[in-house]
Amino acid sequence: MSAAPTLAGAAPEIDLAQLVKRYGRKHALEGVDLQLTGAQLVGVVGPDGAGKTTLLRAIAGLLEVEAQRANVLGFDLRGDVRALKAQVGYVPQLFALNRELSVIENLRFTGKLHRIATAVFERRAEELLARTALAPFADRPTGALSGGMKQKLAVANALLPEPALLVLDECTAGVDVVARAEIAALLAARRGETLVLLSTSYLDEAASCDRLVYLDAGRVLATGTPAELRAQVRVELYRAWAAAPRAIAAAARALPYVVAVRTSGRYARVEVAAERSPGAARVIADLAALAGVRVVELRPLDMETTLLALARSGARA
Amino acid sequence: MSEPIIAATGLTKRFGTFTAVDALTLAVEPGAIFAFLGANGSGKSTTIRMLIGLLVPTAGTIRVDGIDVIATPRRVRDRIGYMGQKVSLYQGITLRENVEFYAGLYGIDGAALERRWGAVRERFALRDAEGERPESLPAGLRQRAGLALATLHEPRLLFLDEPTAGVDVASRDLFWQIIQDEADAGRTVFVTTHFLEEADYCDQISFIADGRLVANATPEELRAAHSDGYRIDVEAPLAAGALARLAAAGFSATHNGDALTLRRPQIDAPSLDALAAALGPAAIGGLRIEQPAMNDIFTRLIERTQVTAP
Repeated sequence: MSAAPTLAGAAPEIDLAQLVKRYGRKHALEGVDLQLTGAQLVGVVGPDGAGKTTLLRAIAGLLEVEAQRANVLGFDLRGDVRALKAQVGYVPQLFALNRELSVIENLRFTGKLHRIATAVFERRAEELLARTALAPFADRPTGALSGGMKQKLAVANALLPEPALLVLDECTAGVDVVARAEIAALLAARRGETLVLLSTSYLDEAASCDRLVYLDAGRVLATGTPAELRAQVRVELYRAWAAAPRAIAAAARALPYVVAVRTSGRYARVEVAAERSPGAARVIADLAALAGVRVVELRPLDMETTLLALARSGARA
Repeated sequence: MSEPIIAATGLTKRFGTFTAVDALTLAVEPGAIFAFLGANGSGKSTTIRMLIGLLVPTAGTIRVDGIDVIATPRRVRDRIGYMGQKVSLYQGITLRENVEFYAGLYGIDGAALERRWGAVRERFALRDAEGERPESLPAGLRQRAGLALATLHEPRLLFLDEPTAGVDVASRDLFWQIIQDEADAGRTVFVTTHFLEEADYCDQISFIADGRLVANATPEELRAAHSDGYRIDVEAPLAAGALARLAAAGFSATHNGDALTLRRPQIDAPSLDALAAALGPAAIGGLRIEQPAMNDIFTRLIERTQVTAP
């Protein structure tokens, strides 16, 4: 274990009440209420400009905030947070490691900052490099890595001190699918040990979280497991399969109960407002009657539909 | 088949001893949405920079809209719109002032500017953003503004390098509706992305690894080649003779009690026709189609081609 003091055995915990962050007159966070208990993977999602980055930075102890309550791992965000920062791994949107140093030198630097014993460092670094497939590149200057490799290193570096809380701000934006899977495996290995907060715009990453926090305009609009969020959404999802689905999109949009249509491959993806739906059998019959439609499916709601519906309800509010 | 609007042959770029792009050959049909995909560091951005005349290749030929890009790189710039990973809007001035600046570069002003910008502003839902400075816009709006500027001079081709990176789901949804509308209006779109579900919104996909072309196909052809194919669960009762017709159309069938599961490597127009005809109108809503995810297809492709040595 590291020589730094740790909260051995304590449950990672976040307890925020009416958290506000202003930049001048602008309110980035308008009163966030959030309670998270226990090691889990929490996705922070919501539209661009909703305040995701500000919330993550606040939780990592990087911002001065106002609040009724603002406790993270037992520390008050409104007070001295230096001891909190030793417990938090934070990966910002923009790559922030030293580009001149090699991969292993960056890790060693972090190891020394956190006073990790050499033998412990060697074991953890080897494991992290193996999991990220960065081992063959250990001596490469960080600045010469591809974008995906840089992000894998940034996450590995944040995990090195085994923080109680890991905060990742869009760390996979612009990262390819294989590198994303390697980052997901790194996080999975810490599941049950670390509270991980991540913001993401990838639907598969949001769907794989234990819990989602949906932010809009600086407030928490919804929170729950992915299934709980899906259950809140009053939308039905259909697919109308056709040889040329772009040709049927306009006709599908004209149906009175249809909210949105987008084509993908051989089907048009049709969202129907549940409160206006005439029932699945009628919707299927109406879509099947459009010229060119061959097969219609009623689909279980997916993460895209859930987030689009939450975005629409946020825009209405 | 029409003459390709983008044609590159033997395209190669070396930086010192490092070969970023290696004898790449590409052909893009006019009016197509062409997805250019690959892992980080595979050579995508280098290729785009060569195609639009910003970077001189070490070897190879490039024709874009009939123009020899290597011999006359400046001539191609009026024909194309380009939007990079970092949108090139000037900070400190409003979006409207950016528009006037870009329009001026292309000699568009007065009534022509008002007409074109007015149309683009409505289509791209930018009315509320016109008076804002780019740095105060959310990422999705900024990307749409960038795309609007790239189309202002009505180019025949759009090159979009990761236009949706870090953009929220609602903005991506709108962005792709716009891209599909642009393609339907005859514009050719060359696009890169790491949101692999977006590959399905495209007509053709080229996939590169270590600067080399490893796949060039339609989304359905990629499914057929690099996945376990479609699985279709049929709940409705079958019409007489349906199974024989489905078998003739290339579906394999397995029964589990009353449930029927069909499989097929890909779904094309004839197989959809056969499916609808065999199931009959009563069964049209009584099935579930499980489509192989593009994430899994590209994971297979990358793992097959990735080199692990430095």
